[in-house]
Amino acid sequence: MSVINFKFRNEVLRHNASLSYCYQCSTCSGGCPVALITKGKYNPRKIIEEAILGLQNKLVEDQEPNSWLCSTCQKCVELCPQKVELTEIFILIKNLCFESGKVPDAFIAQGQAVLENGVAIPYSKAILTRRDKLGLPTIKTAPVDEIKQILVETKFEKHIPKGLE
Amino acid sequence: MAYDLFLGCVIPARLPFLETSSRKVFEKLGIKLNDVDGFSCCPDPTGIELIDHKAWLALGARNLSLCNTNGGVLSFCSGCVETLKGVNYAINKDSRVKEEVNNVLKKVGKSYDGKVGVKHFAELLYEYIDKVKAYVDKPLDGFKVAVHYGCHYLRPSEVINWDDPFEPKTVDEIIRALGAESVDYEMKMECCGNPVEKSDKELSLLMIDQKLKAIQESGANCVVVVCPACYQQYEFNQRELNKQNESNYDFPIFYLSELVALAFGFKPEELGFNFHRIRPTKLFESIKFSP
Repeated sequence: MSVINFKFRNEVLRHNASLSYCYQCSTCSGGCPVALITKGKYNPRKIIEEAILGLQNKLVEDQEPNSWLCSTCQKCVELCPQKVELTEIFILIKNLCFESGKVPDAFIAQGQAVLENGVAIPYSKAILTRRDKLGLPTIKTAPVDEIKQILVETKFEKHIPKGLE
Repeated sequence: MAYDLFLGCVIPARLPFLETSSRKVFEKLGIKLNDVDGFSCCPDPTGIELIDHKAWLALGARNLSLCNTNGGVLSFCSGCVETLKGVNYAINKDSRVKEEVNNVLKKVGKSYDGKVGVKHFAELLYEYIDKVKAYVDKPLDGFKVAVHYGCHYLRPSEVINWDDPFEPKTVDEIIRALGAESVDYEMKMECCGNPVEKSDKELSLLMIDQKLKAIQESGANCVVVVCPACYQQYEFNQRELNKQNESNYDFPIFYLSELVALAFGFKPEELGFNFHRIRPTKLFESIKFSP
């Protein structure tokens, strides 16, 4: 069942007022590579419609359509005649999914890596040897404590589960 | 002109040979790249930003706050460039965002004013295209290249503020300057599918399959990319697709810097071509190119 959640709608609008410019012409879906390949199962216009209506349960709980399938190619943003910032709005929806723990594992894994190492891919021993062979310099990455402090401050750390099930 | 070099994660820690060719090319062109200690993940505009925009802004601004070379910051990765340009854009567009970000940075003794310039390495190569042309020692005759621009090199155009978002020309012109041919193909402006891998591997494979099919039909004999995510998507998945679908993809995937380096006369051995999963040896033989 669809439930209108005004708080959710206002939250999206407050972060990105361009949502209200949408007149549902579907240019976004027409140019979307994921909509094409999934034969419309993924549908950016529909996501915007649900956001305008404040259907939080559809977007966050049910994920129908699933915002995580957006490839962030930004074609819809370029094509939109109303200058709706679709990718930004999808990011906001996904941020809200993250806060409710409704996020694909691979994103959590990347978040954990950055939290623990400061970088998404820490240098392995094998890579350091390879870098050496290729004549590449050794470069110090960010101090882990400093990155962690920032991620605690932005509440990122709070939403990252300690381990993956 | 000198630039601070922002390496990011994927190139230095997974595909370091792409860094080798890039460094060699800029050294040859007389452009100084400074290594900077202390960078974190950019962070990934197809990963971290999707789960936490605020954290993405803060870490991106922290990275930019470490740069102080006159040319600004240069990156070999389209994802890093999109993040760093995007952070600048957000900070300069809205003073509240700038204040929020700086309130976080203050806790670690840093601040960022939004003024560090950001450039993609292909952008810089294009600025130097005449010099690039003049340094060509081994013209890339016989290279029929399918240029894959990727998304984040171009869009959103308001943030990237560079080549045309749907009819780009910069990479095509650079490879033509090297003596190679740019082959047009049906799906040229489509996404490689790499970013959806984290949510749906099968979908991501369908996307790259579609592109490879179009490239095969075009008669191209190799692909050039300017982003390490696209590189992995093209290189790592051809065999997997061949197993699944009875296709016979066997395209060598080049980083733009590798083609420039080859044309400048660098040898495959010094560029680490042995780390390619699909070695270009067969291609070189078939077109009688001796590097």
